[in-house]
Amino acid sequence: MSVVSAFLVPGSPLPYVQRDNSPWGEIAAAMETAGKALAASEPDLIAIYSTQWIAVLDQLWQTRAVLQGLHVDENWHEYGDLPFDMKIDVEFAELALKKTAEAGIKAKGVDYDHFPVDTGAIVASNFLNPDGNIPLAITSNNVYHDWQMTESLGRVAADSASELGRKLAVIGVGGLSGSIYRHVIDIAEDKIASTAEDDWNKKILSMMEQGDTAALSSACPEYAGAARVDMGFKHFAFILGAIGGRFNSATVHAYGPLYGSGGAVVEFDLA
Amino acid sequence: MNDGQIIAGFLAPHPPHLVYGENPPQNEPRSQGGWEPLRWAYEHARRSLEELKPDVLLVHSPHWITQQGHHFLGVRNLNGKSVDPIFPNLFRYKFELEVDVDLAEACCNEAADMGLTTKMMRNPNFRVDYGTITTLHMIRPQWDIPVVGISANNSPYYLTTEEGLEEMDILGKATRKAIEQTGRRAVLLASNTLCHYHFHEEPVPPEDMSQEHPQNYAGYLWDMRIIDLLRQGKINEVFQVLPQFIDEAFAEVKSGAFTWMFSAMDYPELPGELYGYGTVIGTGNAVMEWNLIKAGLAKAA
Repeated sequence: MSVVSAFLVPGSPLPYVQRDNSPWGEIAAAMETAGKALAASEPDLIAIYSTQWIAVLDQLWQTRAVLQGLHVDENWHEYGDLPFDMKIDVEFAELALKKTAEAGIKAKGVDYDHFPVDTGAIVASNFLNPDGNIPLAITSNNVYHDWQMTESLGRVAADSASELGRKLAVIGVGGLSGSIYRHVIDIAEDKIASTAEDDWNKKILSMMEQGDTAALSSACPEYAGAARVDMGFKHFAFILGAIGGRFNSATVHAYGPLYGSGGAVVEFDLA
Repeated sequence: MNDGQIIAGFLAPHPPHLVYGENPPQNEPRSQGGWEPLRWAYEHARRSLEELKPDVLLVHSPHWITQQGHHFLGVRNLNGKSVDPIFPNLFRYKFELEVDVDLAEACCNEAADMGLTTKMMRNPNFRVDYGTITTLHMIRPQWDIPVVGISANNSPYYLTTEEGLEEMDILGKATRKAIEQTGRRAVLLASNTLCHYHFHEEPVPPEDMSQEHPQNYAGYLWDMRIIDLLRQGKINEVFQVLPQFIDEAFAEVKSGAFTWMFSAMDYPELPGELYGYGTVIGTGNAVMEWNLIKAGLAKAA
């Protein structure tokens, strides 16, 4: 299999821009742990699917060779800037575009100066590929695509890597439960906003730890609705598609609140 | 300072296609035109704005989405290059704008006093969203009037539509109070499309108007019903059916700008002047004005 490692990580900028806040610092440390695991898997490239790169017309793949700049999150601008410096594996992206179209999904490359790279992709890249040495492939979340279409995009990534003889690391970037605090809180006291959603998150993470993919497949649709999961949990569908729907177990490096919503850093055991 | 007042409100949608069709020097991509009826509608709105001579333009944009509160641009000068994440082939625009920070702070404080969560955006590296920029360009391409940019808190989507729009109503009342207290002559811009059903593929070239028409007939009928009511000044009736319109036409007014603007103007039962209606990739867009000076509800300069 071309996929050598796979991770589920949150796209919130809070652990990156304010890691000295204890609840968010635990997630930041876990992101770095995941980065070390990713590096140890020695991938030739990393495929990132981020729920925060919203598309509505086509499935988009970044095809610009170098992405550099300074991003400010539209909601958390007071915490500072998100610098980014990314190398894109353009050959891979061109092949993925072709294979996405072959999968029946209209696709388009994105090669524009100052294109607004999303917060989630930047946070994942900066934590898990801190030196920027590993080339990236970044693809969008088309809001009209369902779970099955998103799984097929994961398969496209794996097949493209396989055809090129590349070893691939996969990162699904997005949150767990979606209820947030809509008022200002003491961030040191941040916690999951809903007890019911907290229970759901733990149940799903436990299934991941056990590698119970059958139970996960059955539970995810209900989980997505009951816990207001970020974009229907499609970032997990992308991972499942890329790894052929199977993993042995998972390590939850951290689970915690992000202004009331849930976030977890999960590493899947593919051995 | 006092005697501030709202002198007009515009329904001023933000499809980036309109900027693309106009070919202004700030935008990189070049077109052969397109969407002329809507662009000509904006020309009419520009002439009216010129006569109004406002001190400030306030714009509420659905493409600056915030989850934690209602945010206000709070940096005096902002500039950069705005690339539309959905239509980067059409909109890559170099902008430079001046923010009326004093008024923005007043709006922020008043809204907080009325119970809303609010926040000033103080980061000078912030990238202004393309909805704000498109609406401002289309209404005033000279960029010589200070602005107040307001985010679209996602409350109508996170809560129920009705609960979310109640927040926008409060935001409008706070905006009016801030304008009155700061002595500004203000024009409000509701950056909203009506029916938001759209095609999922772009024609080649994008400005091929032989491919442009309403994506959804029921949505088109809803747009005509709403516009007809607005032209008759039946504002109360519009707001009675607004949740149904939003649900059945997938209307972008759900994001709050329309409610914010009418709340700030105190929901005048005043006929709006329709400058034009047209579709953009199938969505319904109307450019309309409510001139409170002509109606005797505000004083001329």
